[in-house]
Amino acid sequence: MSTTPSPVPSTREAVIIGGNRIPFSRAGKKYVRTSNQDMFTAALEGLVARFGLQGERLGEVVGGAVLKHSKNFNLIRESVLGSSLSPTTPAYDVQQACATGLEAAIAVTNKIKLGQIESAIAGGTDTVSDAPIVVSDRLRAALLDANHAKTTGAKLKALAAIRPKDLAPVSPSTGEPRTHLSMGEHQAITTAKWGISREAQDEIAFNSHQNLARAWESGFFDDLVTPFRGLTRDDNLRPDTSLEKLAKLKPAFGSSLDTAATMTAGNSTPLTDGASAVLFASREWAEERDLPVLAKFVDAETAAVDFVHGHEGLLMAPAAAVPRLLARHGLTLEDIDFFEIHEAFASTVLTTLAAWEDEEYCRTELGLDGAFGKIDRSKLNVNGSSLAAGHPFAATGGRIIATAAKLVAAKAAETGQPARALISVCAAGGLGAVALVESA
Amino acid sequence: MTGSADEVTNAPEAGAPASYGVSELAQLPKLGGLFTKGVAGSAGKRPKGAVRLPEVTYRVAGVDTAGEAAHLAAYQDLVGEPSSEVLPAGFLHVLAFPLATAVMVRSDFPLPLLGLVHLRNVARVLRPVRLGETIEVRAWAQDARAHRRGVQVDLVAEVLVDGDLAYRGVSTYLAKGFTAPDGAAAPDAEAPREEWTAPLPTARWKLGSGTGRAYGAVSGDLNPIHTSNLGAKAFGFPRAIAHGMYSAARALAEVGPALRGETYEWTVEFLKPVLLPSTVDVAIRYAADAAAGGAGGAQREDRAATGFVYDGWRSGKDTRHFRGTITPL
Repeated sequence: MSTTPSPVPSTREAVIIGGNRIPFSRAGKKYVRTSNQDMFTAALEGLVARFGLQGERLGEVVGGAVLKHSKNFNLIRESVLGSSLSPTTPAYDVQQACATGLEAAIAVTNKIKLGQIESAIAGGTDTVSDAPIVVSDRLRAALLDANHAKTTGAKLKALAAIRPKDLAPVSPSTGEPRTHLSMGEHQAITTAKWGISREAQDEIAFNSHQNLARAWESGFFDDLVTPFRGLTRDDNLRPDTSLEKLAKLKPAFGSSLDTAATMTAGNSTPLTDGASAVLFASREWAEERDLPVLAKFVDAETAAVDFVHGHEGLLMAPAAAVPRLLARHGLTLEDIDFFEIHEAFASTVLTTLAAWEDEEYCRTELGLDGAFGKIDRSKLNVNGSSLAAGHPFAATGGRIIATAAKLVAAKAAETGQPARALISVCAAGGLGAVALVESA
Repeated sequence: MTGSADEVTNAPEAGAPASYGVSELAQLPKLGGLFTKGVAGSAGKRPKGAVRLPEVTYRVAGVDTAGEAAHLAAYQDLVGEPSSEVLPAGFLHVLAFPLATAVMVRSDFPLPLLGLVHLRNVARVLRPVRLGETIEVRAWAQDARAHRRGVQVDLVAEVLVDGDLAYRGVSTYLAKGFTAPDGAAAPDAEAPREEWTAPLPTARWKLGSGTGRAYGAVSGDLNPIHTSNLGAKAFGFPRAIAHGMYSAARALAEVGPALRGETYEWTVEFLKPVLLPSTVDVAIRYAADAAAGGAGGAQREDRAATGFVYDGWRSGKDTRHFRGTITPL
């Protein structure tokens, strides 16, 4: 049921000063044997250098990784210690699947708004190339039993339970723990439910590559990306791809469903390595240091959906979060200048948009009076998104926030009017995080 | 609702038919010995005349469940039940199974243990049973009746706590080629094949070749059709097949204690066996969603109140393995 939002309490503003990331690289390519800590430290150092933060004690650095080694229990703090920030800068790790980076930003901006801290960096990192591989549950149980055993005899007995097949290592998977369906299969089910066509998905993918390529060419990323390990641009970007080439790809997900499979490697994001970081502060802190203020991080909303028994699609939570966020600010889709909808899959964007246009769905599931609305497609992911850039899970939030902040700043400078961007990130577990960014 | 529940006799009253005598056992029998007896006895049980069931209830008055902690943990781990001291219906089925098997291996039980086909199962939990409680278990066979391929019979198992009925499970088996007591042909002899389109799956189960052995180890049901390809071939299956109750128990676990409630009905109808290894697509849906084509109400309490329907089929094919319901009572 929809509830009338409480008035937004008045707090001071949290502003976005700038962002930095390393180029994103397809798994198994440039960043092989590069750790999460290496990548996040590099993104952090680039940001420190860009804004002259060497030796500075920041309020907090917050971030995380989705695929994390147990040795990285303090990944972000260790990255801070390896950076030129003051070692007196506190840090902590968060994890909310693909929404990790955006959730980290929500956490630090809330502290800035409440006056608990003056400055912060939020971000994330992920590597599939250096992902943790663990031992099987049976081997782990036997080793732990042996470890806990008091006598040599008991230790040997515990170890004797190990069978040869228990020795096979276990790689991380993108499967949902409760359904054992991969994220792609889940989205294929949602795609079938909403009847999203192959052509519409390929068009989203094509636009993503075209837009990202144009943004790179125009120098948009010159102050957002620091080269790393010999890579100067996102290596998943295919400026020369075409609708014809995309149409030739074989389906990668949904092949066992009754409906025709429409999701391919071209309209789904590839596994990617990378890291990103964004600098936030109070306006006062920025002004004292004469740092640029790109935008305000106005507000955010998280949501979750009941996907386990198929009532809702796995990646549909942002469809519920956005109407709640905009209602709190008395805004509609018409008031948004830039839609940054994370392209986990092209069809994730399309099922979200379809849901907002569906009167019945908006009434029964979102508790609205009618359809939420239709967006102007020319405002969608104007500088490309994850299909072209790639998607190192926890790093995506930081990439999008920095892009959105620059876009609204430029638009406001050009028009003299405030400009707004809406950020939407879906995540495993039926989760979603969305945020509103407005020109400062 | 699917059609599985309506065909089943599951009288609300407790206990066996009035004419049945009671045979007291000191403890639950061990399945290993029963299987040996069942295998040896199966050869002698051939169709001859109308079947007549032994009118006897086996009863074990005091089963202390305190010693079942490790067994329960193994069951929970295998089928995906959360760690809890409340015994899931599937575990109560496993606990009572040896007593029902003891009825089936009696020399006067007319049907052969080997070769019985599990058609369906209906179980009700009427009050939760907790680890450590002392329970009474009783089992008997009833209602031999016609099936289009032979005779079907219900094996009923009940669990009582402090004299109150806590669980009642009815397992319906088919003995091919046997004749029902009334000699009548089955009413569904010419039943047309039902049209079926696979729903969108909600889960995918990759069942390895060891699935039958793993559930066999936990349930004690080491029937060779589940545990080895050779054993399965002897009964006409190309490979070992998964225990039907394993699939049903997983569906029950995936709905979970929070949504099925403390008291619930759990039904399953077995269609085509799951040959191992196999990938089974499963749709475990709110009954309200399934009925309304995916719009069972925005509030989960409303959706969950109607219970769940579940379907299992071979991934990418039209081979239906099972269907059932899980309904809070």
